[in-house]
Amino acid sequence: MTAERFIALVSAYGADARRWPESERTAAQAYMAAEPRAARAALAEADAVDALLRASPTPQVSPALRDRVIASAAEAGLKARKHGRLWLDRLVLVLGAGWAAAACAGVAAGVIMTGHLTADAQADAVLYQASLQGVDDTEVLG
Amino acid sequence: MALIADPDEDLVRRVGQGDPAAIQSMVARKLPRMLALARRMLGDAAEAEDVAQEAMLRAWRQAPRWTPGKARFDTWLHRVTLNLCYDRLRRRREIATDSPPDRPDEGSAPDRGLLAADVGMRVEAALARLPDRQREAIVLCHYQELTNIEAAALMEVSVEALESLLSRGRRALRLALADMRSDAEGA
Repeated sequence: MTAERFIALVSAYGADARRWPESERTAAQAYMAAEPRAARAALAEADAVDALLRASPTPQVSPALRDRVIASAAEAGLKARKHGRLWLDRLVLVLGAGWAAAACAGVAAGVIMTGHLTADAQADAVLYQASLQGVDDTEVLG
Repeated sequence: MALIADPDEDLVRRVGQGDPAAIQSMVARKLPRMLALARRMLGDAAEAEDVAQEAMLRAWRQAPRWTPGKARFDTWLHRVTLNLCYDRLRRRREIATDSPPDRPDEGSAPDRGLLAADVGMRVEAALARLPDRQREAIVLCHYQELTNIEAAALMEVSVEALESLLSRGRRALRLALADMRSDAEGA
């Protein structure tokens, strides 16, 4: 690195090597080691400006601003999709379907059983009326 | 085109899904940066808050449709904030009259040492009086700690032009604050 480029570098980016472009940092540090006196003068000038820049206060975010910004996320349409409840919703759906199926099965079983019971009762009635005189089957069975 | 690595990628994705924890993290990570950028570009606390709030609102709107790999989210947010700042600076120039600047440099107080807060205020005032592009270059490189390539891209100038703006800005600050350099070093 030339003396001219080193001066241009610290004039632009300051005395802190961490702020220098990565592509030139090693060369600039090598120049500092090779030409310490020349480098020192340029660095002192730049360091004084760095100190001024550091003196500028860093603005602080007020709690009110922070709250307004967080609230604005909802206003912008960002709403949680409740990922934590998704599994619960699915579980409720599955259980609900299960209960519905069970209810249907119960109704079907009831109808079948009622049919059997009715048939048994009718058979008993037919046997009973057969033992009686003068009563037609149709009167019993309807 | 090579994909750009973005340290905010996962956070932006979660913000786009409305994850409340991600929204809070994004606020913690970006709001102070955007407020500082706006404050130093505009030199006005109330206007800076308005700009930072508006920039974050645009971030919320952008997050659900953000395409990773094309640009860094932080760079995009800087662009949004800078545009908002320039809108306000333009408006100021349009209504500028013969009124004196908001914060004139009162110079040093020779009979007393400057307190750190005084030094800070004078530096802030000197920054505010720099030409916009010089101030932007210093704010992006020094305070926002962007690389020279990122800052040059944001400003749509070459790296050489950026370095010229930085050098001229720093020289102007040094001259404007020549009387208080020892105070700053001790602050």
